[in-house]
Amino acid sequence: MDEFLMFYAPFIVLIGAIILAFIVAPMDGAATRPPKEKKK
Amino acid sequence: MSLEVLGITVLMTFLFGYIIVGAIDFGAGFFNAYSLLTGKEHILTNVIQRYLSPVWEVTNVFLVFFFVGMVGFFPSTAFYYGTTMLVPLSIALILLAIRGSYYAFETYGASGHKGYSFMYGMAGILLPASLSIVLTISEGGFIDMVNGQPVLDYGALFTSPLTWSIVFLSIAATLYISAVFLTWYADKAGDRDATELLRKYALIWSLPTIITAGGIVWELRSHNADHYNQLLGLWWMFALSGALFIGTVYLLWKRHNYGLAVWLLIGQFALAFYGYGIAHYPYLLYPHLTIHDSFTNPAMATALIIAFILGLGLLIPSLYLLLRLFLFNKDYVKGRKKDEHA
Amino acid sequence: MGNEESVFFSRVLTELTLSFHIIYATIGVGVPLMIMIAQWVGIRKNDEHYILLARRWARGFVITVAVGVVTGTAIGMQLSLLWPNFMELAGQVIALPLFMETFAFFFEAIFLGIYLYTWDRFDNQKKHLLLLVPVALGASFSAVFITIVNAFMNAPQGFDLVDGELVNIQPLVAMFNPAMPTKVAHVVITAYMTSAFILAAIAAFRLLKGSDHVYHKKALFLTMKLGLIFSIGAAVIGDFSGKYLAEYQPEKLAAAEWHFETEGEAPLMLYGILDGQEVKYAITIPYALSILAHSDPTAEVIGLNDFPEDEIPPLYIHYLFDTMVTIGVLMIMVSGLYWLGRHMRWRFIHSRWYRWLIVAGGPLTVIAIEAGWWYAEVGRQPWILRDIMKVPEAATTSGHVDTMLYLFATLYLILGVGSVVVLRRMFRNNPVEREIADREAEVREGTRKGGDHR
Repeated sequence: MDEFLMFYAPFIVLIGAIILAFIVAPMDGAATRPPKEKKK
Repeated sequence: MSLEVLGITVLMTFLFGYIIVGAIDFGAGFFNAYSLLTGKEHILTNVIQRYLSPVWEVTNVFLVFFFVGMVGFFPSTAFYYGTTMLVPLSIALILLAIRGSYYAFETYGASGHKGYSFMYGMAGILLPASLSIVLTISEGGFIDMVNGQPVLDYGALFTSPLTWSIVFLSIAATLYISAVFLTWYADKAGDRDATELLRKYALIWSLPTIITAGGIVWELRSHNADHYNQLLGLWWMFALSGALFIGTVYLLWKRHNYGLAVWLLIGQFALAFYGYGIAHYPYLLYPHLTIHDSFTNPAMATALIIAFILGLGLLIPSLYLLLRLFLFNKDYVKGRKKDEHA
Repeated sequence: MGNEESVFFSRVLTELTLSFHIIYATIGVGVPLMIMIAQWVGIRKNDEHYILLARRWARGFVITVAVGVVTGTAIGMQLSLLWPNFMELAGQVIALPLFMETFAFFFEAIFLGIYLYTWDRFDNQKKHLLLLVPVALGASFSAVFITIVNAFMNAPQGFDLVDGELVNIQPLVAMFNPAMPTKVAHVVITAYMTSAFILAAIAAFRLLKGSDHVYHKKALFLTMKLGLIFSIGAAVIGDFSGKYLAEYQPEKLAAAEWHFETEGEAPLMLYGILDGQEVKYAITIPYALSILAHSDPTAEVIGLNDFPEDEIPPLYIHYLFDTMVTIGVLMIMVSGLYWLGRHMRWRFIHSRWYRWLIVAGGPLTVIAIEAGWWYAEVGRQPWILRDIMKVPEAATTSGHVDTMLYLFATLYLILGVGSVVVLRRMFRNNPVEREIADREAEVREGTRKGGDHR
């Protein structure tokens, strides 16, 4: 188990993060959404 | 061909590449600064910027490639040259850093900033001088072994006429190579004023180049007789080199075919450079270090050569693309393309 | 100058060069990916703002790359100038990745030149984006190869040492040493993380300074999202590094955690002070060190008392480790809350103090990078090549190292100040609002003339 975490998992996480970044990047609907109005 | 000869040939080729592209680059920076000083920047700056902009970073890589490869193929050079060259190479590094970064600062951040232009122009012209010290030291006679450690004798180094001839040659050759190349480039761009001015510079610097080059051979006779005798054994290479030199100057003089003039110039320096290098064989550092006893183990050498071949497979098409898009692209050279940076 | 002084000044000069270079190197590795993502989003969504974002980042990037290149050249050569004995020995085993790094760098340099000057040359933006791929690949692989050399210093293998001679050398085995995967992945992902947070800091700063342009909002949201992904990734890989250390360099882990006695159920201590072997005022997280080392709360973790006293690193690296981890966790929280807040439409993420926090995140992540590298390097002491060569044996015997130190310190000051001044000037003279207006005018002009906008 530790062998896997030391030798392969780091690259899997790295590449996974890069792919995830590309997937998430275009979802920018929330970027321009105004905050909630203050409660009266 | 043995692995060590193959290794040193590869490294020499990259060093030669650096000498040519570096010289063009450094000389261009100097001419640019000089034109600011004499108020002729309107003639030169444009043509120089168009050439320099996309390639400045590539120039630097040739040097990195050379010294990383050197330590890779010949690890003992790290011990001899690394220990003794701390001061000269550190100074070269500082000049290199100022030149590279201030070039970028001026080009991308503060166009036309005179102070920045002077800084990179001056740093560029001092660089060949400080790097050329390595060649001087490789001739031997400046390094003593003290308690098994190599020590550089600065007194001997700075009082030797050989040192100063090599320094002068490096500066003269830098300006000469650069001026010849830029003459051709300006001519291609159809910029007549710049062509004329650069042609004048090229002719001016041709004479000091050939005189100092001859002077060095003469100095070597008394400094390093071995090397001198081997140089004489390769007299035909130098004779051919001299003939090409005359050819370049003739073409410039007659305002004829500047493209051919550049190729003759490269041929001239290649013959002289490889002739000098072959005559140096087998020494990397007279008389302490030869390419045989400093060579790395066969496993590493093979790995490096394989990596080198694979790397070239990647680099040559990329370099070709770079040259096609900029240097050999008529529209770009003439400034017709709207290729502003970023 | 005595030999001891040479060693001392060689260490200081190397540390200075690396500390300065790593700022620009980190940006150099991470920003190309950020530019690529922004340009890609711009093309996909046909949103001019993201294209402009990529373009402006690329402009600033050139300045940092220039400093990164020259300082990288400096450290490359200083390895031979200051540590000639190390290079002579290690060069025989680990020269291959150093050599490959120059190729990666070469590749990057060529395409960066092309990319920068071809913004308006292609009618199809995708072609232009394609040119950035080799830049990003070259930049990341430079980091990979250089980090492999550093990993080798921590876990040398791929040779046999017989009577002080290296025999049976296997360059590939040396490259794929046990320290390599965690170290390489951690260095690369933290470069992405740091670059994202630096760019986020710039966007937040513009918003704070009164600009309300949607361009900055898009930039901030994008970079915070990317920062969140990469900072979580960095933490996960950091956890893997703990497992590597526990097995291959237990003294480095033990020194960072002030773990003296070999024992199971080991707690993780954060901060505190050391009194003899007793840790006072520390924040203690039970079982956490055992989990970090072996993913098992009861597992035994080797302590410092199992090592000879002259082979353990200085204990102050504890604080370096803590700084790195604290900033990492803080940035996960800041970016996580921002992302969540954007979706939940919370108000406080738009408040001034929160934006200032994001601005602070830029320099903070750079500090985390520095702390991480100091930890990595000091944690290897007294070795330069673990178990094979100690630092003093490796250093130059040349004098004048002190003078060179002052010269280089001056140089770095000039470069640091120069790059900041130029960057500020560049963006102040050309604010994004004006550039957007210019471009819109250009496009209008273009359509009137019949669509010829080349």
